[in-house]
Amino acid sequence: MTADAGIFAGIKILELGAGAAGPVATRYFADQGATVIRVESSKRPDFLRMVHLTPDNPHGLDGSPMFVLMNPNKQSIAINLSLPEGIALVKRLVGWADVVSENFSPKAMAKWGLDYASLSADHDGLIMVSSCLFGQTGPQRMYPGFGGQGAALAGFNHLTGWADRDAVGPYGTITDSLSPRYVALLIAAALLHRDRSGEGQYLDVSQIETAVYSLSEMIVRYSANGEVVSRRGNSCDDAIPHGIYPCRGDDRWIAIAVMSDAEWRRLVDEIADPELADADRFGELTQRLAQRDEIDRRLGAWTRRFDAHELMVRLQAAGVEAGAVLSSDDLLADPQLAARGHFEVLRHALLGELRFEHCGIRIAEAPARLRTPGPNLGEHTHSILRDQLGMTEAEINSLAESGVLV
Amino acid sequence: MLAGIRILDLTHEAGFLAGKILADLGADVVKVEPPGGDLEGRRGPYLGGVSDPERSLLWLALNTSKRGITLALDSERGRAIYRSLVRASDVVLETEPPGALAKLGLDYASQREGHPGLIHCALTPFGSDGPFASYRAHDLVAVAMGGNAALTGDRDRPPVRCSMPTAYYHAGPEAALGIAMALFARARDGEGRFVDVSLRETQLSTLMAGPGQHAHTPRVQRRSGSRLGRTREIWKARDGDVSFGLRGGQARIPNLKATVAYMAESGMAPDWLVAYDWASYNHNTLSDDEIARLEAAFGAFFATKTRRELYGQALERRIMLAPCNDAREILDQAQLRARSLFTTIDYPELGCSIEHPDFFAKSNHHRIGIRSRAPRIGEHNAEVFAEVGLSADDLAALSAAGVV
Repeated sequence: MTADAGIFAGIKILELGAGAAGPVATRYFADQGATVIRVESSKRPDFLRMVHLTPDNPHGLDGSPMFVLMNPNKQSIAINLSLPEGIALVKRLVGWADVVSENFSPKAMAKWGLDYASLSADHDGLIMVSSCLFGQTGPQRMYPGFGGQGAALAGFNHLTGWADRDAVGPYGTITDSLSPRYVALLIAAALLHRDRSGEGQYLDVSQIETAVYSLSEMIVRYSANGEVVSRRGNSCDDAIPHGIYPCRGDDRWIAIAVMSDAEWRRLVDEIADPELADADRFGELTQRLAQRDEIDRRLGAWTRRFDAHELMVRLQAAGVEAGAVLSSDDLLADPQLAARGHFEVLRHALLGELRFEHCGIRIAEAPARLRTPGPNLGEHTHSILRDQLGMTEAEINSLAESGVLV
Repeated sequence: MLAGIRILDLTHEAGFLAGKILADLGADVVKVEPPGGDLEGRRGPYLGGVSDPERSLLWLALNTSKRGITLALDSERGRAIYRSLVRASDVVLETEPPGALAKLGLDYASQREGHPGLIHCALTPFGSDGPFASYRAHDLVAVAMGGNAALTGDRDRPPVRCSMPTAYYHAGPEAALGIAMALFARARDGEGRFVDVSLRETQLSTLMAGPGQHAHTPRVQRRSGSRLGRTREIWKARDGDVSFGLRGGQARIPNLKATVAYMAESGMAPDWLVAYDWASYNHNTLSDDEIARLEAAFGAFFATKTRRELYGQALERRIMLAPCNDAREILDQAQLRARSLFTTIDYPELGCSIEHPDFFAKSNHHRIGIRSRAPRIGEHNAEVFAEVGLSADDLAALSAAGVV
């Protein structure tokens, strides 16, 4: 195997499902050389394909930048799962695969006879992971939630916002970005285990449970001390200043987190405010915590004189932890992300040049490779049936005529 | 699942979760603290409010299933012992600033000599290279520079972060995944690898390819409080908040219809709403007045019901609505209880038992979850150091010299 081929070259993953959580997980493998085939259908399109069905999009289901950006390096086969021939075809593809990853509701896979018990019966070593909102068991498993409900049920909404105001929830659906990292880890660990033992396994992931597990500290604080952790803006008990302060311009801000008394002294040297420099009043954390409002007010009056990026560079150089609050435009122009090659341009036949993101992991000997943008729906149907399942043209035509390949 | 893999965990708080995940998957994770304990990582709040590093709830929560040793890496003798531990390990996991371990002579290249299979995972704020490599970032700065804060919060106040460190929560499984990838690669060719994980880069993924979408179809995005884009996402029930998306799309239409049916049964759906054409509903193309009219009707209804009533009916009628739970309510959730998500760990020397989330997945082959409580300071010194050939006498001498 050449390094260029990627860590998971030769691994075959079959993906069923829609949205973000499942596809984000399998993308790590596609970027590292695995063959990832998505089973899709125009009868019931992935809703990421549908978010961009707007009058300005002439390309329909193939014109969604969100879908295309989140599914690079994957192949798409169109299969009508409402026909028995469609289900039979999926079962043949399971025979081809090392891993099946799905995020349908628990009912769907069993209804189709695509549950692990059925699929693994004549496929030793099959790894399968199911990741829906609630997991495969329990009284609420059939509940049709999206990430929005996941963030609410797992606590993130309650935890985000200002103490004197309504919950706002973190932008995006945290469970949709959190759970796929666990799913990908489980697939990698299961592949490692299969290498060592020959054994496959079935993994039942609940998106909410991955979030609650991540929030172990919050659960333990309640269980041990009866403390209900609640939203409190940007403040915390271990640091002050610890907040986001205005900068020059419209809606420009800088985050400053002073984690030690020494760092506070370095910040005060930069501000040159004689009041704040008074070590008898503000020198120690406990003193500063008692005067949070005054510190925030004085610091904000100072930061608003500066450009956020310039102030960040200046404060970091002085040994003070600070970071500009960045928008999408800022991120696209960010010098650190540019130096690390975080965004990479690929040309999509319909949408033109698109800027794809890499994940947070860099392995120099095995760089993640972007080869193709997210596929059109059914783009690879013919080649998959021919090359992976060895079907003849006549067989493929017959399936197409029966309406199976849509 | 990872039984037999040994990992040396040198992390600060940002990396606690990464080590915990691997330990709860069965790896032998040895947490290395300075003599006297990692006082920063063993921070408050403390059990019962009693300030004591052995009572740190953060520590107890995020270091389960690990063994714990103390070792002074700033002493030559300590570093020699550390090197022998590295030789007996598969992976080093650390969160030091780039270059810090090199200054101690403990960089990856030197540790890998004679141990080509060694894997080294560095979780750093911005990655190990580039113009910001030396910049510092805890959770708040990572969330700000990762793009999420700009879009979170109320329009008339500064951007805001989640009050628990979500950047660490994303980076934990990301770093664990990087290690698992390197282990898989090593199983093929015997070679270890340097796994360079950036806290901030991981955080960008919460935007769901937002920057790339913006580059293609520029749109002004602003914080919108409890709304998601144009429509309200968090609503007032009679006794607290619920999440409900007044958004369209094929997958959501049945739930919008079911909600209106529920409202109608309660006598709270105006005629125009009962007759509403959801099939062509598109929240992106409605007028502001129309959105206000819809929100007023839904909001008036939710305000008459408790969260328990609403969620009960949501489950029954397949409505996509859920309560915004706090920790107490999460521990009470019937679904999580039915799946035995929580386990009780006894802390006899502290005189208490604490409930922890036990696992992040269920496997039909392996137990995933907590195998042992987080270690006390130096709890496993004797057994871990014995594994690299140190006797009880050696240990006593090292302890007297402040090395362990």
